[in-house]
Amino acid sequence: MSDGFVRAIKAAEIAPGGMKAVELHGRELVICNCDGIFHAIDRRCGHMSSPLEMGTLDGSILTCAMHGAQFDVTTGEALSGPVPAYLGNETLPPRTGALLSHVGALMQHIRTESIGTYRVKVESEWVLVALS
Amino acid sequence: MNPTSRKKALRHFFGKVVEPLGFKFTPDAELAEFLLDQEVALEAKHGVPFCPCQPIRRDRARDMQIVCPCIPFHRKHFDAMKRCWCGLFVHEDVTDPDSLPQIPAKDLGLE
Repeated sequence: MSDGFVRAIKAAEIAPGGMKAVELHGRELVICNCDGIFHAIDRRCGHMSSPLEMGTLDGSILTCAMHGAQFDVTTGEALSGPVPAYLGNETLPPRTGALLSHVGALMQHIRTESIGTYRVKVESEWVLVALS
Repeated sequence: MNPTSRKKALRHFFGKVVEPLGFKFTPDAELAEFLLDQEVALEAKHGVPFCPCQPIRRDRARDMQIVCPCIPFHRKHFDAMKRCWCGLFVHEDVTDPDSLPQIPAKDLGLE
């Protein structure tokens, strides 16, 4: 479309509180229905790139299903890192301690970045997203 | 991620927990911000947002009872005070939180 918006999905396909992944021009997005107001965000979690549509949407706060990182879908702002947080000093069972210590040591260096958001409008039953 | 962002999420989810219990955030906005700042710092240190006004005893069963919002674990005590221990939450009818003092549970005959 001339104004930069492209059709993403029919509005009726996402119930309030729901999300759906779409691919537009090779870009992976998630369309979120926050109680009737639609938002579009990057599909990949800012923590470890998990698909965010598998998480849960509570108001405008999306919680990633993989490690619990949270984002505000209206701004893309990261609100929480992974849960549990990897502090590097956890006491672990001896049999699994060595492996998990190693994983924890790696995980504590992973930052949770904010994610991209896109302008959205609804016209003629379609959710339109501006990719530019 | 900065503390302001984390406070936004804590506010959102804490509100969903305390409202059905008949509590709300204290009308003292400055106090609420201060306490949430402390909780964000505690969460960064310990992994969970402990109450900033109660001691961490390194006893998991007891420590889990002071993870904010800890109202369900101290219901009689907090209902008697009309506030939680640190004052982040007050009964929904409270408009003057400064009039509500901390009262130890034993002074209320609850221990």
